[in-house]
Amino acid sequence: MNERVAVVGYKQTKHTFDSPVARERMIYELVKSLFKDLGITRDDIDTFIFASNDFTDGRTISEVYTVPRIGSFMKDETKVEADGLNAALYAYMRILSGLYETALVIGFSMAGSEFRVPLTQAYTLDPVYERPRGIINFYSTAALQASAYMKKYKFTDEDLARLTVKNLQNANNNPYAARKEPTISVEDVLNSKPLYLPIRQAHVSAYADGACAVILSSKKAAKKFTDTPVWIDGVGHSMDTYYIGDRDLLGMEHLSAAAKKAYKMAGIKNPKKEIDFAELHTNFASEEPVFAEAMGLFKPGSGKDVVKNGDSGIGGALPVNPSGGPLGANPINATGLIRLAEASEQLRKEAGKNQVKGAKTAVVHAQDGPGAQLNTVFVVRR
Amino acid sequence: MPGNVVRARVPITFSYKNRVGHALEQYINGLKEKKILGVKCPACKKVYVPPRTVCGKCHKPIDQMVEIGQEGVLKNFTTAHVTIANGEITDVQQPYIIGLIKLPGASSLISGIIKTSSVPEVKTGMKVKAVWKETTQGDYNDLAYFEPA
Amino acid sequence: MKRNVAIISVGYNGRFVSKRPDINIPELIQPAVDTAIGKTKLKHDQIEAYVVGNMHTFEGINQPHLWASDHFGGSKKPVMRVATGGSTGASVYQAAYYHVASGMYDVVMAIGWEKHDEGDAQVGLMGILLPEAFSLFNFGPDMSEDRGVAGLGGGGSTGGAAFQAMSYLTKAHAGIEHIDRVAAMMRSNAAKNPYAHLQQPGCTEADIAKTPIISYPLRYGHTCPTSCGAIAMILVSEEKAKKFGITDRVAWVKGLGSGASDATTGNIIEGQITDPAEQYMCKVVAKKVYSMAGIKDPRKDIQVAEVYSGFSHQDLMWPERLGLVDEGKSPEMLDKGAFAIDGELPLNPSGGVTSTNAIGASAMVRVGEAALQVMGLAEGGHQVQRKIENVVAHGWGGLFQFVTVTVLGRTPVKK
Repeated sequence: MNERVAVVGYKQTKHTFDSPVARERMIYELVKSLFKDLGITRDDIDTFIFASNDFTDGRTISEVYTVPRIGSFMKDETKVEADGLNAALYAYMRILSGLYETALVIGFSMAGSEFRVPLTQAYTLDPVYERPRGIINFYSTAALQASAYMKKYKFTDEDLARLTVKNLQNANNNPYAARKEPTISVEDVLNSKPLYLPIRQAHVSAYADGACAVILSSKKAAKKFTDTPVWIDGVGHSMDTYYIGDRDLLGMEHLSAAAKKAYKMAGIKNPKKEIDFAELHTNFASEEPVFAEAMGLFKPGSGKDVVKNGDSGIGGALPVNPSGGPLGANPINATGLIRLAEASEQLRKEAGKNQVKGAKTAVVHAQDGPGAQLNTVFVVRR
Repeated sequence: MPGNVVRARVPITFSYKNRVGHALEQYINGLKEKKILGVKCPACKKVYVPPRTVCGKCHKPIDQMVEIGQEGVLKNFTTAHVTIANGEITDVQQPYIIGLIKLPGASSLISGIIKTSSVPEVKTGMKVKAVWKETTQGDYNDLAYFEPA
Repeated sequence: MKRNVAIISVGYNGRFVSKRPDINIPELIQPAVDTAIGKTKLKHDQIEAYVVGNMHTFEGINQPHLWASDHFGGSKKPVMRVATGGSTGASVYQAAYYHVASGMYDVVMAIGWEKHDEGDAQVGLMGILLPEAFSLFNFGPDMSEDRGVAGLGGGGSTGGAAFQAMSYLTKAHAGIEHIDRVAAMMRSNAAKNPYAHLQQPGCTEADIAKTPIISYPLRYGHTCPTSCGAIAMILVSEEKAKKFGITDRVAWVKGLGSGASDATTGNIIEGQITDPAEQYMCKVVAKKVYSMAGIKDPRKDIQVAEVYSGFSHQDLMWPERLGLVDEGKSPEMLDKGAFAIDGELPLNPSGGVTSTNAIGASAMVRVGEAALQVMGLAEGGHQVQRKIENVVAHGWGGLFQFVTVTVLGRTPVKK
């Protein structure tokens, strides 16, 4: 068995709302240039794991035509049908088993141009209760969660707008982000189109065309790829029950359990102190304080103070989504994996304008399902 | 060099006939009689709405249907300015309220539309009651909405 | 040092059937899970993690495990979804294996299912090619991207499989009667498996030959049914198996592997149509898996095979590609009775996929049936009576391009 697994290479596309190339070429060029950067060939990779989804790809068995595009032709290959961070989790397990030394993980979708995101989300709801009733969907679930948080902790619409602007400013300095709104103000967010209040259009993540590829390796094999590996020291994943009326929308016991497991593996006792920054997969801006608190990064209900003090900003006590997060780009299936790539970039001090100073330990998160029913958490260290 | 990718529409819609299942079928039949049904776990005594055939906590199969009260407390709500159907987000003329309601006898909160004379009137903690269609036919619309009790 | 992993229990939801209008998908999964747990002394809460999968475009529900969370026990538990087309079930099981082999978990459940009565499987399968088909209609064929254009001629998946069947028959100097014969054998094997869908006791070559041709050389009788069913398996670490005191009643995972080729339904590469019956990937994966399992001569060391054959000609093709039979010699083996339940290499004692096909379950059913054979627990007369040391289970998916191979055995590989 291998004892430690590292992120040794990563690359994401420049995400867009209307990709100039088809998905096959998008992932082919991404992986090819990642290989070139690292000076490796596909023969240096033992196993390839896709993160894609038949519904977001609009076809049955979504990887049928993508296999050769990432170099996995006649190679060991499989597919996780969830966010890419789950594929990274599977790759991590495969390497830990000792049967593989290296793995390439890729997540992608054309969420900006090729399908209506709410339609794939509707297909994610059960077909016989929520779907025909038409009341509960990904948006209204997020709104009910946001509303519960805001009422309980006196978190105002203005606080939420400030938090949105914080992320969009970060996204503006992120060369990969699709959504660029450099001049957006708190007022703009407050006045943006109401959807399911308190959720407005400006709070919604930027569903985009894009891909992210990450290479993981055993400690033994890491030297071949890089001198600055980023170690995956803790992982956890957990799922909640399905019906929203049975969930604890604020406590998010399942997310909290996944985070605790990852912290325990990484030997982290006090995440508030020991974690230097977080990259969270938020489909809506309002999810940020809820997730961060469930993950033990801030005191429950502290969202208002965190926004006021700028604690989650790049210069703050515990920056959250210094990349801008999914508010800047949310290419479904790649989004959580991008969090891992962004965290690795930060830890290697390659994050440019968004660099968090002195960052050594990060927590990375991904979600699937309505209201983040399934969550995956990684702790990574330089 | 690549660029200007040409996109072809696939003008085909797949059709499905998804099965309602044992527990929900009874729930829908209950609606026809203007009843809200849940299932009670024999082990932990929790009552789930909508009903299902298992308790997710105790992993015990459950089939004991119980009737739920129809007047309860609004626990949480959102004011909707849009609807989502067929993946399209469409504006509505009149904003409406989607609420999570605690009905007596149920452990689950039930989601539903809240109708009031004006939106600002809605507050969490207010009492609401189920309003039924005059003639029920055994579908989800039979339970039309909730209104202040 | 590798961590040994064992399959300790296999559960079905019941007999696989065409239609289950009385239940929904979560209710289909639930009894399989309960059966798998019920066969052990485990309590439900002792399952530490789940890996699940199906082909969700068939039923039109994206990631249906979210809805089914309570029904299989996944609420507040780690759950991972894996899907790779026809090989989904085996890919799910392999992911469950790595959950344990990684040292992260000791008791993991793998679940695969399909409920084909909720959609149209052939329409679902056409979904593989629809985007390609419509760009072809709109813009003409794009040969530079070596698409599976030949497959478009057939419709559904039989169209693609017919190319493979024709190529296989030519290579093996065999005729359609061999496909009839092996199809008949599978349907009569299925009659000895209480969970199989199409059970036809005493089914003969003549019975199959009566069925109409769909796409030559494949007849209706050579194709699989669309079934509703679910399978759940429990995998544990060697330490746990010892702790439970059941090391002699389990199936050890000795070797496993997966591989992917390009979509091989008649690809055009450098002006040549590739041969969908070659299945080079299967040979490569099998070789790797045998080496991991410490098997030097698969013909001697493997006693039973469960192969994934959506079409009956594949029941002849796969044993060859898996190195169990010389290339082109399967028809001869069939004719001398070697593939029968009491033959020298029992092939699909369960009746195989041509008798039962709930797609997301099928490739795991191969592994589950292999485990039951190793444990001596196959019910209803399809248990192979001679001594079994190793069984190979195989799966394929996509456009004849993904392959999974597993060897299960009575004794674990020495560390």
